[in-house]
Amino acid sequence: MNQNKSYFVPSLTIFAVSIAAFLVFKSFLPKKLFSESTVNAKNVVIDSLLLEAIEEENTAEEGDTLSNQPISFAAVDGITFPDETFSDYRGFQHLVQFYEKLYQLETTQQGNVRIAYFGDSMTDGDMIVQDFRTNFQNEFGGQGVGFVNITSESAASRNSIKHEFSPNWKTQSYLNVKNPRKPFGVNGHVFFANDTANVEWVKYKASKIKNLTELYNPTLFYGKSSNKSGKIALKVGNDTIYKKLSPNKLVNTLVIGNTTKNLKVDFIKADSIPVYGLNFDDGKGVHVDNFSNRGNSGLPISTFNTEVMRQFQEKLGYDLIVLHYGTNVLNYGSLNYTWYEKRMKKVVNHLKECFPGVAILIISTADKSTKYDLEMKTDSAVVPLSTAQKKYAIQSQAGFVNLYTLMGGDGSMVKWVEETPASANKDYTHFNYRGAKRISSLVYDQIYGGYQQFKKLRANRKPVKPAVKRDSVTVKTDSVHVE
Amino acid sequence: MQDWFTQNIASLFTNLTAETVTDWFVYNPKEPILFNTGLFLGMFLIFYSFYITLKNTFYPRLVYVILFSLFFYYKSSGVFFLLLLGSSIVDYNLGNLVHRTQSVLNKKLCLAFSVVLNLGFLGYFKYTNFIIDTYNSVSDGHFEFQKIILPVGISFYTFQSISYIIEIYRKEIEPTKSYVDYLFFVSFFPQLVAGPIVRAKDFLPQIYQKLNVTKDDINRAFLLIIGGLIKKTVISDYISINFVDRVFDAPSAYTAFENLMASYGYAIQIYCDFSGYSDMAIGVALLLGFKLPTNFRTPYQSASITEFWRRWHISLSTWLKDFLYISVGGNRNGTFAGFLFPALFFFGLIVWGITYAPTSNVPLIIAIGSTVLFALTFLLSKEKERTMFTNVNLMTTMLLGGLWHGASLRFIIWGALHGMGLAVHKIIMEFFPSKKEEKKSFFGYVWLVISVLITFHFVTFCWIFFRAKDFTIALELINNIGKVTFDWEQWMVIAQGYKNVFLLMAIGFSWHYLPEKMINAMQSVFKSLPIIVKALVLGLVYWLVYATASAGPQPFIYFQF
Repeated sequence: MNQNKSYFVPSLTIFAVSIAAFLVFKSFLPKKLFSESTVNAKNVVIDSLLLEAIEEENTAEEGDTLSNQPISFAAVDGITFPDETFSDYRGFQHLVQFYEKLYQLETTQQGNVRIAYFGDSMTDGDMIVQDFRTNFQNEFGGQGVGFVNITSESAASRNSIKHEFSPNWKTQSYLNVKNPRKPFGVNGHVFFANDTANVEWVKYKASKIKNLTELYNPTLFYGKSSNKSGKIALKVGNDTIYKKLSPNKLVNTLVIGNTTKNLKVDFIKADSIPVYGLNFDDGKGVHVDNFSNRGNSGLPISTFNTEVMRQFQEKLGYDLIVLHYGTNVLNYGSLNYTWYEKRMKKVVNHLKECFPGVAILIISTADKSTKYDLEMKTDSAVVPLSTAQKKYAIQSQAGFVNLYTLMGGDGSMVKWVEETPASANKDYTHFNYRGAKRISSLVYDQIYGGYQQFKKLRANRKPVKPAVKRDSVTVKTDSVHVE
Repeated sequence: MQDWFTQNIASLFTNLTAETVTDWFVYNPKEPILFNTGLFLGMFLIFYSFYITLKNTFYPRLVYVILFSLFFYYKSSGVFFLLLLGSSIVDYNLGNLVHRTQSVLNKKLCLAFSVVLNLGFLGYFKYTNFIIDTYNSVSDGHFEFQKIILPVGISFYTFQSISYIIEIYRKEIEPTKSYVDYLFFVSFFPQLVAGPIVRAKDFLPQIYQKLNVTKDDINRAFLLIIGGLIKKTVISDYISINFVDRVFDAPSAYTAFENLMASYGYAIQIYCDFSGYSDMAIGVALLLGFKLPTNFRTPYQSASITEFWRRWHISLSTWLKDFLYISVGGNRNGTFAGFLFPALFFFGLIVWGITYAPTSNVPLIIAIGSTVLFALTFLLSKEKERTMFTNVNLMTTMLLGGLWHGASLRFIIWGALHGMGLAVHKIIMEFFPSKKEEKKSFFGYVWLVISVLITFHFVTFCWIFFRAKDFTIALELINNIGKVTFDWEQWMVIAQGYKNVFLLMAIGFSWHYLPEKMINAMQSVFKSLPIIVKALVLGLVYWLVYATASAGPQPFIYFQF
């Protein structure tokens, strides 16, 4: 063939046949090149109770009775919020005691309110929670970052406090350990300074964020042990100060020193003493503790030891526990979440037993997208999961925030990722700092809206009972739902 | 067989609704037309069939391509195709004016006017908000950001229009014979939205030649398209969405090793993305019988940063060399414009260092250190003045070249780093000139490998600033990479977790470093295939693209060690 002959027609032929060939290939070759296999390497963070639960999953479908009837509430302290429907359920009624504490704080400027915020990778590095904390502290006062772990996988990404630790700490987490050597703390972790050859240390430095510029009243939390010779050392100016640990009770506290900007604590001969973490707060206003764990489904909370938690409650005095989970339950393969609903209901009831009188707020999964036919759309598991979360919130008498609808419902994650500036990351699951701020405002605004409603109802109530003080409330076991 | 046909082929047509057909022809900002979309494939097939029938005509063919190009641009950028039309009318007439004007002064004025006008358009669309932002942060002002949409490809076609006028001014070309010819040059759809930046003197003569393609051209075209598709859609898109983007979104949420791999990943991603799309453009143009210049020649094989810029985005770097570097004085003269930008840059750098001095000394050390380093690159030279002109003009070129990539300080920093790299390489070459040996010794090869590695790592380091959303992220990532420790077991676990991503990265890099002989051998195998087999190979590549694109984002993984 002559090299210079026009080759347009063969070119068109190749092109046309290639398209036909593609249509043929497409019909019998696999649709996806890389399957979305979940890796089960030993170092991937997944919560072991979740894996177990999925394995034992009970597929029995329960009759859906909740969604048809209006939800009405019994009065608490003479306050009754209006009836709600299943679809718009928010359950402010179950936050009345928390609101009362806020009200006392706001009107008398006394006392303090404490919130435990449990979460997964969404709140890693204090994302969402740091803005949530700022919202409360700006409105009601309070300074300090709250309870901080000894070691944390996300210490590097945390902005609200600079946190470093020696690599020789032995960490046990409720994420993958069922029977820890010593019970877990309220943070779901227990840390041991068992390396006798080298000193274990932990270092904190306050950030520049408003309300968090100091490490207020640093207080160490540790547990019970037969080792009575453990001590800690810290530097104040040029002197090294030693303090003895007395691990006599299930939960012990030790005030380490005065409010400061930097703190480094060495642990000496402290092996086998369960160390939990340090708390930094100024004792007034609102304090929010972030207990986030990558890979957590929420189920590990069921391993909390009631006695230990009650002692934590005595010392820290939680008024509200927020449970923000779901991300890690989304990709497990089925759209039936009955098993998760049942187990989380137990978790909530267990928390009520551990922390008598505490109000509980469930935050649903946020929107998350998956690719369907070349297009990113809301994952088909998001709605069933958020519905399951709403169900256990109702059944266990907890407040509820539907984050999925609040952030815009169907297709909202795609928008959050693709808008400029973006609010969420390219995994179409996690928020960036901007998005985290938006999310925390959505959650805060709903809680605050309920509080405003509470104040109106409180003003209009008949003066029958005095305001309830914390700890005088009897534990309400949910008789209807005990299994 | 019939069942299969109804299911797979007939359904393509029976499932058509008026809405989908409208979607094909109406601009949708969310779905711009790209070479790697099914829509382009289908439209190009139809377009190409008629194109061939018009191949022996002149104006009908030109007008036909122009109409398709304008439609293509409308699908990418909506009504802005009117901007393209409008600015082409102005530029065509200015070109003629520059050509006809006799007096040197008037010629210069016409030229200046048209360059300012073109850059003015580019500046308005691309840099208004950047200027407002800079002004606000420097003077605490509160100017509102403007709602300006950046027309797709404006950076590319503005440069093409400028090249046309400057080349007329420099008497390198004659103006086109008619407006249609000029519009054909500016709007030619293969290179319209993402380059290569075609020079008027290379392209215009081709318009007037008899249209022809040889077997060799078509083979090359399909090879470029196949390579481009695989690089762009299989390698680049997949590793970006499933790995690189995530790490760059929140570097500290990932391990040090993942941070390191993400920066390597970005190096191969940006190369595959950019060169892949360029290759497709060159391939498509070749199918139509037009030869566009090569834009990338395996740049990471470069043994120096100077060489890198001869192999990376060649059409841009030669454009910048011919029209910016030479214009501000090249390696001979110092001009006000040549000194202005480097002076502003180093001044800004030192001011930044001073403002941070109360909290940390590091910024000031970096600022003074880099200013001194840059000064040393010409103070140490034997020909101080000339080297100073060269380096300052190079720095201007790289700073503005950086800014061309996007309106943000981080692109300026990226340009500055490369400018410094070029200057430092120059002075090193002056002290240790490379020996031109016929045969390389063993140590020569070892040195070559080391130079390639150093160059690659410098370029990869600079890419971090190019990619990271802001400085905090860039510094976080660099800081994390600093924490990498050798831990084979941990690396293997991570590699297992990202096995698809790492596999594609490995393919990308191996392909890049494959000896030319092997590439040529593979290409000659393709060339010798019968037409039908070539078509099957191409069809298989489409499937590969499709199957990669349908794989959703992999679920996120967190490691703990």
